[in-house]
Amino acid sequence: MSALLDQLTRRQLLWHGDSQQLAYQAVASGYPELDQQLAGGLPATGLIDIQTDAGIGELRLLLPYLQQQQQHSQRLLVFIAPPAELSADMLAGAGLDLSQLLIITPGQQAAATANVAARHKKSAEKNQSAKKFSVQQQALWAAEQCLQSGCCATVLLWPAAISLAQARRLQLAAEQGAASMVVFRNASQTLSLPVNLSIRLQPDPLGLQVTVLKRKGSWPAAPFQVNMQQKWPALCLSGTSGEPMRRAG
Amino acid sequence: MALFLYLHFPALQLDNLQHLAENSQHVAIALVDQQHQLLQLNKAALTAGLKLQMGLASAAALCPDLQLLPYQPEQQVKVLKSVAQQLYQLSADIALDPPSGLILRLDGMLQLYDGLQSYWQALNEQLAMLAYRYQYSCGATPYAAKCLAYQQANLITTDNASLLAAIKASPLKATELTEPQQQQMIRLGIHTLGQLLALPPAELARRFDSQLLSYLGRLRGDYYHALEYLQPDPGFSRYLELLYDISDSTVLAKPLAKLLLQLEQQLNRANCQCYQLLLTLFFRDSPQLQLSIGSAQGEYKATAWLQLCQLQLENLPLPEPVYGLQLDVNHFAGQQRSTGALFEQQDARMSALQLLSLLQARLGRSAVSGLTLQNQHLPEQASQRCLPLVKGQTSPSALVLRPAFLILKPEPLTEPVTISQGPERLCPDGWQLTGQRDYYIGRNQQGQWLWLFRNARQQWFVHGWFS
Repeated sequence: MSALLDQLTRRQLLWHGDSQQLAYQAVASGYPELDQQLAGGLPATGLIDIQTDAGIGELRLLLPYLQQQQQHSQRLLVFIAPPAELSADMLAGAGLDLSQLLIITPGQQAAATANVAARHKKSAEKNQSAKKFSVQQQALWAAEQCLQSGCCATVLLWPAAISLAQARRLQLAAEQGAASMVVFRNASQTLSLPVNLSIRLQPDPLGLQVTVLKRKGSWPAAPFQVNMQQKWPALCLSGTSGEPMRRAG
Repeated sequence: MALFLYLHFPALQLDNLQHLAENSQHVAIALVDQQHQLLQLNKAALTAGLKLQMGLASAAALCPDLQLLPYQPEQQVKVLKSVAQQLYQLSADIALDPPSGLILRLDGMLQLYDGLQSYWQALNEQLAMLAYRYQYSCGATPYAAKCLAYQQANLITTDNASLLAAIKASPLKATELTEPQQQQMIRLGIHTLGQLLALPPAELARRFDSQLLSYLGRLRGDYYHALEYLQPDPGFSRYLELLYDISDSTVLAKPLAKLLLQLEQQLNRANCQCYQLLLTLFFRDSPQLQLSIGSAQGEYKATAWLQLCQLQLENLPLPEPVYGLQLDVNHFAGQQRSTGALFEQQDARMSALQLLSLLQARLGRSAVSGLTLQNQHLPEQASQRCLPLVKGQTSPSALVLRPAFLILKPEPLTEPVTISQGPERLCPDGWQLTGQRDYYIGRNQQGQWLWLFRNARQQWFVHGWFS
């Protein structure tokens, strides 16, 4: 009997209702509440979709994870199309190795090609129309190349929008190169993507309010709070003091 | 005894053109000189019945759809040099005999190859790969070999007697004698080289100029014939004229691949790689366009270079059709192979440097950068973009409470903010009090953590946000 069961399990015809096997290898996120909810931590490979507003602590949530990813495999960390200049202080302070870090800002070469185009006036207009649609494409292309190459640990991408097919393609590339990829999206984009993990972040006085929208191999759970008071006391409205120092504006 | 081999390429420029351009086998092509004489013909033209030295009118009458191209001696010499470079792997002493011949000195090489036959076999294989038509012959002196090669004697032998007999039977047409000299000889009843050689030199000296005597002396081997043997070039430079103009930059990859393959062969032979290619595109009206294609790791493989070139070409709008390509490599470097760990879990498809060159080729050099931490107190100077993947010196200790994102040009604060920490006073150089900025950390109503400053005039700005 057990031989038969074994065989069926191996052929994936039998499914245990109680076992919650993790579909991916987890890396501790550095925040105990999050690790507990995600059964171990954030996925080491594959896509992580984060729906968030800018500036509420989304990068702080990931910093320990990024540091581990980079240190564990000695591979690159790639930031593609960040919304503003990245500050070295913050990243180095979190223990990231800056020499193993790439920043890709597509669209920068516009100036370079403009020189060529200026020399050949005829093609200037054609060139510009080609440029417009390609900045987003270039970011995705760069992401795919980085993921596939096998020499990047994690790629962070700030896309304006991402389609289902593109996400699927990136997921495959990430699996191929054993890399993980974090996609930051606006909360308004509700399109569900084929990803390993999808979470929504909301601001909270003590840190972040996290909702797990989708996790491979598990059920959705209730929103929970991630307390950042220990790691980032300065960036929390501590409950005890209550009184803000001052108001400006 | 000295032994020379002469290789004569009767249609080098045309063969080279045809080798590089596809689908040109069925087109009759001829090269013409300034006097409108046919100098080089391809196979299709020969089957159409055209002959060398024919005038244009009769050629056009025989073959109406004949394609004509100008004969460019300097172009042909370039091709000849590249042939010599490729044969240099097999034979040490090669001298150029422009515009279409190579002189190879054999007596030094025979010991290495253990005989003439095996040497010729090795050389023949290499020549077959080059796909140029050629005529050849051995000879005791360079001029003797040349004379026999012009007649397509195709003699490969060390036997002195048979070589001498062949020389003696050669017509004067195959020699270096000028047209008037040949006429003169024929009037004297001298039709073969043997007859000429039989005459005593003293008699010849009375009737003819010293040029003829020096030629005969070198032919016989009495006079020393100085040859300038080839030294291999350190770089790579090839020009390719396209058979038809190309207006689509993606189509350029096809002819470019052939040039890159030649580069790979040369790099492979020298056990080298290169870090940068210079690709020049020639246009009919616009000035030429030079692209520099770099690889941070260094490559020798044609496929790797082709990928990098294609990425760069894809982005490139061509102002008008391209008629020629030139590929230059100025500097070769020794090959370095990176060593990988034996028990590495996942095998990386490419190294970080290869990835970098790939990204730079497509997105441009300025789009990819690294980040360094400088020892500066002003936030905008503390983080600086740098060349990617450069192992910097030990960076100063970081200030942790800094925003993740900095706005290059601070924006005025427009919304109510709750200040939670501050102030931290930062002053630009020299502690000018007018330029002082008091930094605060604030949280707006959407829960975003902003990095604000107030200047000396009590104006509030957002300089970044914590993320």
